[in-house]
Amino acid sequence: MKNNMLSKYIFNGRNAVIAVPYLWLLILFLFPFLIVLKISFAEPIIAIPPFSSFFHWDGSFWPTIQASFYNYVFILEDSLYLNAYLSSLKIALISTLITLVIGYAIAYSITKAPTRWKGLLLLMVILPFWTSFLIRVYAWIGILKTEGLLNLMLLSLGITDQPLTIMNTNLAVYIGIVYSYLPFMILPIYANIEKMDGSLIEAAADLGCRPFKTFWKITIPLSIPGILAGCFLVFIPAVGEFVIPDLLGGTETLMIGKVLWIEFFSNRDWPLASAVAVILLAMLILPIMYYQKSQEKAIS
Amino acid sequence: MNEIESETTKLSSDKPYIQFQNVSKKFGNFTAINDLTLDIFNNEFFSLLGPSGCGKTTLLRMLAGFEKPTNGRILLEGEDISNIPPHLRPINMMFQSYALFPHMTVEKNIAFGLKQDKLPSNKINQRVDEMLELVELTEFSKRKPNQLSGGQRQRVALARSLAKRPKLLLLDEPLGALDKRLREQTQFELMNIQEKLGITFIIVTHDQEEAMTVSSRIGVMDSGNVIQVSTPNNLYEAPATKSVAEFIGNVNLFEGVYKGFDDIGTKLKCEHSESIVYSSQSIDAKNGSKIWLAVRPEKLEIFKSPPDYKYNILKGTIIDIGYGGSFSTYHVKLPNGNMISVIRANRERTSEKSITWNDEVYLHWSSKSAVVLTE
Ligand SMILES: Nc1ncnc2c1ncn2[C@@H]1O[C@H](COP(=O)(O)OP(=O)(O)O)[C@@H](O)[C@H]1O
Ligand SMILES: [Mg+2]
Repeated sequence: MKNNMLSKYIFNGRNAVIAVPYLWLLILFLFPFLIVLKISFAEPIIAIPPFSSFFHWDGSFWPTIQASFYNYVFILEDSLYLNAYLSSLKIALISTLITLVIGYAIAYSITKAPTRWKGLLLLMVILPFWTSFLIRVYAWIGILKTEGLLNLMLLSLGITDQPLTIMNTNLAVYIGIVYSYLPFMILPIYANIEKMDGSLIEAAADLGCRPFKTFWKITIPLSIPGILAGCFLVFIPAVGEFVIPDLLGGTETLMIGKVLWIEFFSNRDWPLASAVAVILLAMLILPIMYYQKSQEKAIS
Repeated sequence: MNEIESETTKLSSDKPYIQFQNVSKKFGNFTAINDLTLDIFNNEFFSLLGPSGCGKTTLLRMLAGFEKPTNGRILLEGEDISNIPPHLRPINMMFQSYALFPHMTVEKNIAFGLKQDKLPSNKINQRVDEMLELVELTEFSKRKPNQLSGGQRQRVALARSLAKRPKLLLLDEPLGALDKRLREQTQFELMNIQEKLGITFIIVTHDQEEAMTVSSRIGVMDSGNVIQVSTPNNLYEAPATKSVAEFIGNVNLFEGVYKGFDDIGTKLKCEHSESIVYSSQSIDAKNGSKIWLAVRPEKLEIFKSPPDYKYNILKGTIIDIGYGGSFSTYHVKLPNGNMISVIRANRERTSEKSITWNDEVYLHWSSKSAVVLTE
């Protein structure tokens, strides 16, 4: 009897369905994360793999654990890392805000487009995903460099008489991030505005509210769930972005993703790189949890 | 009936408050409103009554400014409003779906329109309190719409649309979501409010009982047009067409041909009677043209033996009796197979000589209570 109940509890369909995403998270997120966490407590050595081992078996049943917080202390004491974190947050925040303004405008105008155009317009938003991310960022080099398409156009139109230096500056990084993450902003906002009850806008007009004010008082407040979703989907990956600052940014561009890459591949200091990654994750946990909560609220 | 007609003419002599002049509205190829002309007067409680999809909401939306007429003009106090945007019209609407702002409290919802008028805040608060009191929601002022019941939401919507003291209030099926009891109660509340505030109400409904109860005049609509505009009483007693007669209450229709007019009234040769039947109403028709005689179920008398009348007698068999508490509905089958319904008040609790199934009965109506229809 007891056995029966137990098997019912564990193997019923509901639990099986819930188990799938949890298993997914366990294998593809938690497990790798624990490995990174373990490495971050090790010391770099010249070997394969290039770090000291975490567990030591010296004959007894339980292994002894050899962990050092040296990497964390090092990161917190060296202002380079702190600056890189702060600068990453700043770049991610500013590009998220720019993406929000542009993305909201695009999402809003798609909802206002005639029905037969909407599908095509949405397709155009998603279309860039069909080309590799790396290639698209490379393409921006061709546009932004001194003798690139943008400068060619500006010069030939006579708008400037000197080519602009955009390549290898933070401006290029902003352009790259905004361009790359725009669809992640547009899609949730679009979904949100599209399902909004149109009679609310009419009710506001009916009560004497001008269209522009209606937009601020009704449309924007009601699309906050979409705005939050879009902002988190852009902000979180943008903080750790590596490819864009590496390809488009210059010496002035300090981003934690780039620091991580250097520690990992140039210095081959896996433990330090792991510690950098763990701290980055810890920093993002708060916004991620907040995002999770806002999504739950939106569902209920 | 003369009395009713004079009442209608008295209204028409005033200057109309709203005029629809040959208004048409097309959605693509589909004509939702077809060359409609209608006058509505100040202080009226006017109902638009018609089956679902006949264009009632479209008509209201054109008044509120959310749709533009494809053709024709809409005048408010004699001025064309076709080009005035909704937010500048002195008209408020209570939406079919209520359209309450979900992110605002009851209080804020009601204050929204007043804030657009830039009223001082103490004035706004005072008006909001007044409105909350009117709809008896004072203790719910801090709640959000999703924390209210359907009936409460509907009252917030009403309060919000009344808060600006519009001269004209449009109500689109305002009581659709309420149960019968609450509905009847709210109907009387609406009538009280309309009287108290002196606002012109235009209410859309597909419920003829509701329209009859609340309104001073009813416009009966069918597929994009108004077929008849009149007082509830007049619509019931003197419908202009077959479709109005059928839409307002129940009716028995006798099809036949016009046989002229004598001292009893209009003569009709029925398809299912040897004799001629009469209505005292005179019409302008050619001899032999097809006409209908409409008799309401409660205007028919029912007898077990041939009554002592010279005309308007039909013989039939009782097929079914529907007990309705205060009244019973008798379904009588005529020799040609047509069914006639007769309503009789149940005056006694149980009648010894009551009529039962399969009884042969005789029906009679007074020629004054039959209406002749030509279309
Ligand atoms: N925006 C629109 N586009 C196309 N057809 C519409 C639109 N609005 C209403 N209609 C059509 O017009 C007709 C009348 O609609 P409506 O005024 O809502 O009817 P009612 O309120 O009397 O039920 C319906 O057949 C409806 O399908
Ligand atoms: Mg409707």
